[in-house]
Amino acid sequence: MLIPAIWIAALTYASELTLLSMGFTLTYLTAKVPNFAHGTYAGIGIYVSYTFSKILGFSPYLGFPFSFLIGGLMSIIIYFLVIGVLQRLGGGAIVLTISTLAIQIFLAGATNIYAFWLRAKYSTYAMLFMLKDFDFKIGDFPGIFIVSVGLTVSCVILLHYMLTRTKIGIAMRATAEDPELASVLGININQVQVFSWFLTGGMASLAGSMIPIWFMSTPTTGAAMITPIMAGSLLGGFENVYGAVIGGVVVGVSEIMLTYWGSVILGAWVGEYRPLIPMIFLVIILLIEPRGLQGAWERMTASDTGQSILKSLGLLKEEPVT
Amino acid sequence: MIQEIALGLLTSSVAVEGTSRLIVDIAMYFGLFVIVAMALNFQYGNAGIPNMGCAVQVIIGGFTVSAITTRLILTLVGNAGVEILPWTSDYDWVYNSPKNVNIVNSWLSGEPLFGVSMLLFTLAVSLILGAIIGWIIALPAIRLRATYLMIVLITMADASQIFGRNVVWISGGTLGIFIPDIFKWYPGDRTLVMAIITLLIGLISFFIFRTMLNSPYGRLMRAIRENEVTVGSVGKNVVGIRRNILMFASGITAISGALLGFYFSYVVEANYQRALWTYWPWLMLILGGPGNNAGTFLGCALVVAMRRVILVNKWFLQEIFFFPVAYFEQILLGVLLISVIMFRPNGLIPEKLLYIPGVNYRRLVDEEVVVDWRGAPKARGASSGISGIFRMLGGKKEEAGE
Repeated sequence: MLIPAIWIAALTYASELTLLSMGFTLTYLTAKVPNFAHGTYAGIGIYVSYTFSKILGFSPYLGFPFSFLIGGLMSIIIYFLVIGVLQRLGGGAIVLTISTLAIQIFLAGATNIYAFWLRAKYSTYAMLFMLKDFDFKIGDFPGIFIVSVGLTVSCVILLHYMLTRTKIGIAMRATAEDPELASVLGININQVQVFSWFLTGGMASLAGSMIPIWFMSTPTTGAAMITPIMAGSLLGGFENVYGAVIGGVVVGVSEIMLTYWGSVILGAWVGEYRPLIPMIFLVIILLIEPRGLQGAWERMTASDTGQSILKSLGLLKEEPVT
Repeated sequence: MIQEIALGLLTSSVAVEGTSRLIVDIAMYFGLFVIVAMALNFQYGNAGIPNMGCAVQVIIGGFTVSAITTRLILTLVGNAGVEILPWTSDYDWVYNSPKNVNIVNSWLSGEPLFGVSMLLFTLAVSLILGAIIGWIIALPAIRLRATYLMIVLITMADASQIFGRNVVWISGGTLGIFIPDIFKWYPGDRTLVMAIITLLIGLISFFIFRTMLNSPYGRLMRAIRENEVTVGSVGKNVVGIRRNILMFASGITAISGALLGFYFSYVVEANYQRALWTYWPWLMLILGGPGNNAGTFLGCALVVAMRRVILVNKWFLQEIFFFPVAYFEQILLGVLLISVIMFRPNGLIPEKLLYIPGVNYRRLVDEEVVVDWRGAPKARGASSGISGIFRMLGGKKEEAGE
């Protein structure tokens, strides 16, 4: 095998995390609210996969479009019922964040109830499962590795195309920059918001439905992923979708690889502390550079020594306009 | 009649049961949550710090009881000549815990002074440790936006539980640690004493918080909540004040965790979950109305009574639903939080005006300020910008009079 199994796991996890981080950042850009329920969307995707494979007997891959649709529709419902209403009522950033936390608690309860119902009705292990048996193989690689990495890369490319070339993408960027000015220019902000909530919810649910094909899943798996999602988004600068891509990959790979190396060197007990790694990332980023990679980049381009370092690395081509 | 019942409860040597048991339980939980919710009100309602890490501060109190007080009691009792089983290694610490507690309890039944001094010692230590934790959690995010603080504190609540689960010498890992009964000397039910002590501590902290809010420092806090830039511009150290508030409130919150450990005679990390000790106090705060302690009391009483009644009628409810009541409580918590935020953003009892001794603040606010614009036609007509302001300040009263 060309790539060791642990790297396959790390890259699979990192690509799923990248999708989630990207969606989280997009929501933050358009709605200006850190969506704490974003991880729980992934939990719903997990159960869409479970329903398709264990209950209905199809391949879990068949459930991906449905997962995208269900996540997107749920996200739109949340926007119409809660977030949009609160924004119109003039709730501040803290009130909106608390409301997303409340949504997270509600959705976690709903996921738990659904899992419990599945267990009671079909007598299956719906509370702790893994869908590796439903996976296929391409050569030496497990199918989920190819599919997750491919899907994430194509999502990044599609999103880049959408944000730079299409009308709705440009409208989204304008709304992110200045909602009032965008509405003066004739952009229907409400439409843009609905679209972005649909997109992010769908992406999160899609990422979630890939998780159980490689990793052990419970009803709380999705909710527990919110810390790595935020660490990835914060590493990228919290307000930059491309930064979130880098952040998601870095946090995802390092979470798995640091745990693995730690358990090889120090002993198996390190595995228990795996959730601490994204948290350490969060704290270190906040202590050193609260604006993440974007802030670091801006600081580098602002100083002469930073510019010369960037030029020597080949990252900076032309003189930035001061 | 109430006096007779209270006296009967206090002096009876039988265990409290039935409805009285429920009342004692509600009183205990009300006391615990009112401490947490008032500290939260102090931080969010008055100073505008969205502390989503109450669970961290509460768990520190629990760890104080299990890791420090229990060790100290075991050491002191061992030195006093009582034979106790070995407890120094991790294995003995967990597996001899119930037996050791039994031995220690029989010794403690004749030592009221020792028990009370241990309680006071625990309260003091948890206050100090809570303040230290407040300083630590303030470190990465207090200078930044409120959202960052929320993110860091929520993740820290999980981190503290991970440590409690895996570091055995703190609270016995997943198995938990039994706590010696420091009220063994009391002939009646221990839980009753704990409930009364908790309510008393809640009352004391209420007076402390009220005094602080009505002092100049409290007005400074509210000023920071309203506009931190203005407060910073008149030379106040906003970051330092916020850190002080977080440290003080953390210390008070940690006390409730310590009391919970004594109430159960048992500490395990699963008792200090994030949902229970962060989200439910937030619901109490928002339901009652952030910014005033009366609202916090009301919200706390309503929510605690509701939760306890649900728990007591658990089997009845479980027949109606097909799923466990714990999931129903999650749904209920989410729906209640959202509906309170939407329909009553100011809570059941909205925030009142500040009480400042000697100043009739109500009159200042309600008084209609009549401005006679006819007196200053030139000033109003002056061009905007700095030159206009200077012209207005220049006091050209002669022109205005013309």
